Amino acid sequence: MAHSETELTISEAYERDNDRALKFLKPRFHEEKFPMTQILGYIGSLILTFAAYFLVINRVLPSIALLAVILTLAVMQGALQLGVFMHVREGRGLAWQLIPLYLVFLIALGMVGMSVWIMLFKSGVS
Amino acid sequence: MPAFIVHLIHTLFPKTVLFPDILLIDLGLVVGGIGLFIFMTKTHRWGWLWREWLTTVDHKRIAVLYLIAAIVMLFRGGIDAEMIRAQLALPGTHFMPAIQYDEVFTTHGTIMIFFMGMPFIFALFNAVVPLMIGARDVAFPRINAMSYWLFACGAILFNISFIIGGSPDAGWTAYPPYTGLAFNPGPGENYYFLALIIAGIGTTMTGINFLVTTVRMRAPGMTLMRMPLFIWSAMVTSALVLFAFPPLTVALAMSLFDRLFGSSFFTLGHGGMPMMYVNLFWLFGHPEVYILVIPLFGVFSEVVATFSKKQLFGYPIMVASILAIMFLSYGTWVHHFFTMGAGPGVNVFFGLSTMLIAIPTGVKIFNWIFTMWGGRIQFTVAMLYQLAFIPTFVIGGATGVMLAAVPADYQFHNSYFVIAHFHNVIIGGTLFGLLSGLYYWWPKMFGSKLNEKQGRVAFWLFFIGFWVTFSPQYLLGLKGMTRRLYTYPAGLGWHELNVISTVGALIMGAGFVALVFNIVWTLVYGERDLTGDPWDGRTLEWSLPSPVPEYNFARVPVVHARDAWWDMKQKGQSLAQLSPEDVHDIEMPRNTPVPFLLGVAFFVVGFALTFKWWPIAGIGLAGVFAIIIFSGFDYEDHHHLKAEVVRKTEASLGRLQG
Ligand code: HEM
Ligand SMILES: [Cu+2]
Repeated sequence: MAHSETELTISEAYERDNDRALKFLKPRFHEEKFPMTQILGYIGSLILTFAAYFLVINRVLPSIALLAVILTLAVMQGALQLGVFMHVREGRGLAWQLIPLYLVFLIALGMVGMSVWIMLFKSGVS
Repeated sequence: MPAFIVHLIHTLFPKTVLFPDILLIDLGLVVGGIGLFIFMTKTHRWGWLWREWLTTVDHKRIAVLYLIAAIVMLFRGGIDAEMIRAQLALPGTHFMPAIQYDEVFTTHGTIMIFFMGMPFIFALFNAVVPLMIGARDVAFPRINAMSYWLFACGAILFNISFIIGGSPDAGWTAYPPYTGLAFNPGPGENYYFLALIIAGIGTTMTGINFLVTTVRMRAPGMTLMRMPLFIWSAMVTSALVLFAFPPLTVALAMSLFDRLFGSSFFTLGHGGMPMMYVNLFWLFGHPEVYILVIPLFGVFSEVVATFSKKQLFGYPIMVASILAIMFLSYGTWVHHFFTMGAGPGVNVFFGLSTMLIAIPTGVKIFNWIFTMWGGRIQFTVAMLYQLAFIPTFVIGGATGVMLAAVPADYQFHNSYFVIAHFHNVIIGGTLFGLLSGLYYWWPKMFGSKLNEKQGRVAFWLFFIGFWVTFSPQYLLGLKGMTRRLYTYPAGLGWHELNVISTVGALIMGAGFVALVFNIVWTLVYGERDLTGDPWDGRTLEWSLPSPVPEYNFARVPVVHARDAWWDMKQKGQSLAQLSPEDVHDIEMPRNTPVPFLLGVAFFVVGFALTFKWWPIAGIGLAGVFAIIIFSGFDYEDHHHLKAEVVRKTEASLGRLQG
């Protein structure tokens, strides 16, 4: 049976190349002689970590701003880890990556959110 | 003597490790060590040890290594338990000094959970998961070996603490601020944190490994809904490990930073927040108790179907309930610290979510019972443990629900009632499950059945001993006896119950002796099982000869039904008769010293950091990086087993046509 327009598999849709959103997420499998991306990613992740450390130790910012900056750094760090080391853009395709990612975000946000809720108690006495 | 040597001796052997009983153990270890060394040298076994065991990446051998470690640790933890019960048997006893008592209950809990329960579970995973799914090994064999050696390194580090430097003494939960330098300056807690961090890295890698193995390595035709329940349990446990261990690692590392580098995450002063540790620890801790029991749900599901000669009742519901337990177990952790007083909103939420878990658990219990219903039950030792598990676990779960009622927990918390609850679920669920699995799969691992008569003796000793030990502890809890209590005055009405409990502990000790006797007797006199399928099993591991050849499956099977091997037997097909053309070259992982050396390097780091010997720790860390980098460029990690060799092996097992 010939494939009609609606019956494209995901990888065929990527092949069509005419959908720019899909093109961005197209799975890539590439090998390099020298792992330049990884080395840069490693250095980048160290820089992000130490930036957060020095901001806290030296207290250059007011608390709220500090919190905002640190959280931003954390999100950048997460994106970097996923993108460079965890192969989000490689693999069998979008669907295989997004479902576990949603799950991870759900559980992580649940853990962090609930921990904040728990630890906001008024006093040690009860 | 130079001053630094005197100093060194004082650091390594402070007063707390010079109790007479410990000195006696030192002597025993030295004599035993020398004896072992002479034996190994005389019989020329070092090369054999290195080639066959220390460098192996074969999941079946790694399973044996885990099993040996787990049984040794069961012994160590059991001795600790007997010491605790000896101290508590009578009022006003001073069987051992208070400090040693604290150390003994700490090492008991930590060893039983992290160094007995976890490796025993991983022993079963390694022994059967690849065989059940029709695979030739796990997804990452080398990482599997690394996991083992990291675990072993952590276990050794933790276990030597009582003879070198002094044991941790803050309980298996290691709450700050007591673990801080201000209250606990010795090396004990360093041992605890470092050993658990190192073993935890290994455990996390095992989680990833078995998640990938169960998702990606199944034989053709084995869809998700055709996976044996043990495989489901391995998959779910791995996912739990993957999400539960990071919070633990973070909490341990932050505590370690407080101790080694002067940070104040959990200290009392400088804005530290000790309760945050408690939150992080139980964020791990509650999923951990399910990591300890879900694999055994899997074992019981296999055992009950095999020995009732029936398909498991309600398979889809079993799968759904195991997944429900996985998700729910992430939303209950506050029940371990209701008394922190986070407020009624938080406590009610977590009280209810805790009670909710009892529902899928109850569903599973009913399904096991319905599987037995109308079946032809064979009372093998594995099945006896299953039958003992059901009532024991139900009562443990019921007292858990009592604890989950927040106002009641304000009374129960930190009392012997909690001790009785969790031993009820951990011994009734985890230990009975592990032993059930051990008796069930022993023929597959070692090629002969464990003697059933002796197994029955051990079973009854464990079962009766368990109830005699722990039912009095519920009453003790209700009478106000708190946990982690060194000694108590007469006249509180605790006396008789404590005596009974200690008698029970002795019965369980006898059970352990019977178990070891059973194992040793079988290894020496056991009758070889030539069928490979002594229980008339249902899943693929029973289609193979015992013990299983290195490559597992000469030809990868195709699965057409849920109980794949049973289905094949019904249809009169068999994997046993291969035609020579079916056998091809097989790609196998190659043995490597990398994992063992990595364990050694981590041990150096851990030991040096415990005593703050920075330069040595630096050398060890350099070793860790060097080994990992070397491993990354080691492309010679596999070899091809020639079809001819496979044919020869299969023919010698009588499994080749012509
Ligand atoms: C119906 C299921 C269960 C419920 C409702 C439940 C509930 C609870 C609650 C509320 C506590 C805290 C008590 C306190 O400290 O005041 C607790 C402690 C504990 N539970 Fe359970 N539990 C259940 C099943 C299990 C299972 C299956 C295991 C392990 C296999 C387990 C192991 C433990 C352990 C180890 C502790 C004590 C930890 C410690 O403080 O050292 N529980 N349980
Ligand atoms: Cu819990």
